[in-house]
Amino acid sequence: MSLALVALALAASVLAILAVAMGYVLGWANRKFHVAVDPRVELLQAALPGANCGGCGYVGCSEYAAALAEGKATVGLCAPGGGGCAQHLADILGIEVQESCPYRAVVHCSAHAYQRLQRAQYEGEPTCVSANLVGGVQGCTYGCLGLGDCFRACQYDAIQIVDGLSTIDYDKCVGCGACSRTCPRNIITLVPFKAERMMVVACSNQDTAADVRAVCEVGCIGCQACVRVAPELISMDGALPAINYDLYNPEEAESLKSVLEKCPRKRYVFVGKPSPEDLAAVEHEELPEAVTADFKTTVDDTEWRG
Amino acid sequence: METLIGVVLIFISAALINNFVLHYFVGICPFLGVSRRVDTAFGMGCAVTFVISISTMLNWAFTSFILRPGAPLPAWVWRTAGGNPQTQLDLSVLSYIIYIFIIASSVQFVEMYVRKFFPPLYKSFGVFLPLITTNCAILFASLEVFKHMQDPTNLWGLPQALTLALGGGIGFTLAISLMAGIREELDLCDVPRPLQGAGIALIIAGIMAMAFMGFTGVDKGVETALTSLLR
Amino acid sequence: MSEKTTSSVDRAGPTALERFINGVLPENPIYRQLLGMCPTLAVTNAMKPAVTMAAATAFVLICSNIMVSLIRGLLKPHLRILVFTLTIATFVTIADRLLAAYVYDMSKQLGPYVPLIIVNCVIISRAEICASKQTPGVAIADGIGMSLGFGIGLASIATVRELLGSGTWFGLHVLPATWPNWGIMVLPPGAFLTLGLLLAIVEWGTRRRAASAIWRTVRMLWSWRH
Repeated sequence: MSLALVALALAASVLAILAVAMGYVLGWANRKFHVAVDPRVELLQAALPGANCGGCGYVGCSEYAAALAEGKATVGLCAPGGGGCAQHLADILGIEVQESCPYRAVVHCSAHAYQRLQRAQYEGEPTCVSANLVGGVQGCTYGCLGLGDCFRACQYDAIQIVDGLSTIDYDKCVGCGACSRTCPRNIITLVPFKAERMMVVACSNQDTAADVRAVCEVGCIGCQACVRVAPELISMDGALPAINYDLYNPEEAESLKSVLEKCPRKRYVFVGKPSPEDLAAVEHEELPEAVTADFKTTVDDTEWRG
Repeated sequence: METLIGVVLIFISAALINNFVLHYFVGICPFLGVSRRVDTAFGMGCAVTFVISISTMLNWAFTSFILRPGAPLPAWVWRTAGGNPQTQLDLSVLSYIIYIFIIASSVQFVEMYVRKFFPPLYKSFGVFLPLITTNCAILFASLEVFKHMQDPTNLWGLPQALTLALGGGIGFTLAISLMAGIREELDLCDVPRPLQGAGIALIIAGIMAMAFMGFTGVDKGVETALTSLLR
Repeated sequence: MSEKTTSSVDRAGPTALERFINGVLPENPIYRQLLGMCPTLAVTNAMKPAVTMAAATAFVLICSNIMVSLIRGLLKPHLRILVFTLTIATFVTIADRLLAAYVYDMSKQLGPYVPLIIVNCVIISRAEICASKQTPGVAIADGIGMSLGFGIGLASIATVRELLGSGTWFGLHVLPATWPNWGIMVLPPGAFLTLGLLLAIVEWGTRRRAASAIWRTVRMLWSWRH
């Protein structure tokens, strides 16, 4: 038998046996090591915004999608996605979604720096956490310090410090809750926005009467006038009123307005997107031009004669 | 003793002196592509080390019994077919095909196994496994083993082959992690636009290669030290 | 009905000529796609090995493109990479044996880098992108174009390295004997540095700002003539 023939036959049989053996091994492995993957997870992940903000309580959008597919999470947790996203997720999972409303952050303090009394000159680290630990920075130990921890936490550029008070821009707020988690005094909460503008309690001071007046020009004194006007909606939490947002009905404008008028310190405010009256009031003002960076230096146009 | 010294020298040579990436230029594509962050780079390096060890072991077995000149199986077949004992039936022409087939199959097998039994491990480096099939470093390790199986009197056994694979994989991990560390720092630097990305990475690789050239001659020193120590 | 036919023609992909031209400069495998770095760095310390490697890669690329294009109807999706790889491995074996037979010294010098053509990303990516989807004619043109581009890339790097590193080109002494050979150029660091700098030059040259920068330099030099 010639060498070439035997070599050819041996080579062909070695390759054929190898191919068949590997085919069997890989086929067996495919069945034995099969990992059941829910095909819905990819669809769910595609439906989510992908911002990985953590507002839903899961580490990233992929984690939330996995939890949804396992049925461990509800569809309405994604704040940046909003109602449209929740509906989309519900369609993929084949479940009904209840009418839900977006949650937005609300700062429960409205005292600007000039309204806070007994302020001291603070020379420490310019963060709210440090100032809170040091103490004595301002008279009110419950309210906003205005050093900007919430401003730095917001990825959507929705919260700014204006005159020492953190102020939220409701055009940009998505309700992720980052500012709420950062605030060392816990005065930012997430409120369900059943309408564009919601009434909130704009104070966090738990003291009453003279103690409050000593530290703040506008703080809540705990007189309970609001509770007497709308007892089913407002209850007292210590010396501070709390609105029950489950029962809050934006349609009942009259009763809300009366609460607003009854408060002697004017601590009930409507927050939210600007109302038509507000927009009309500033129409005549001109916005300054946005500053853009111009990276030309003074030597850019010099001709080098080096 | 000789084997032990030989094995240590093979390891040092593969990992440092003749580093797979910086001296032999294999595994450049993942070296440039996956080296932007240290944790992904390290994951890639671990995956490569894992796959290179397994596939080199399998390929060594194939080479030893079927593919090398003078291997047992072709010799037996030739004898049984009544062939002339002076001529040798040499199947080494099949080596490339069999090597790449074994590598591709073992990568697929390893991916399925890791995905089933080690989900957290799969999460960290599972996505790199399919890329590794076309990684030059794996095939290169098998080719180096083949090169050292040509002389029937001085064959590499399983310890040597496995050490080469491990050394190569660890050297690759070292190089890619170093590159990732440097590139993370570079993110904050003002690199000129034409050089951004692959350009500056290659220049850094060149400087790293120059640095690793400093290891030349280390094997001679280690060999002298070990022989005098273990005598 | 007429809309259907025009859309099916459009879906056939780029023509053979487009594929050919694409492969040479616009989608050059080394400078634009950054594939196939391993042989690029390894064999370019002189022109002769670089040209041999380019020829071997061209052979493998064109043959495998033809073969994959001919069997494209039979490919199962999850096995196609394996099929490509085995086809390429066969042709690389043939190329390796041919080189060993006809240019044994060069084959020894190229060493393990000829079998590493199997895992050269250029070939697998062309099989995946072009050959498995289009007719053999287009696949051949794509193969020729990409091989030309690959060869141009290899030759450019090898020219720089050989001239600066040994003063020769294709083995012929080009630079005067007083040229101090930059040994680093023929060693691994030189490969990385040369490729990195040439890559940067190609990146810079393919932007319109490069033309204006050159024009500004020319104008400046002209204004110095007094």
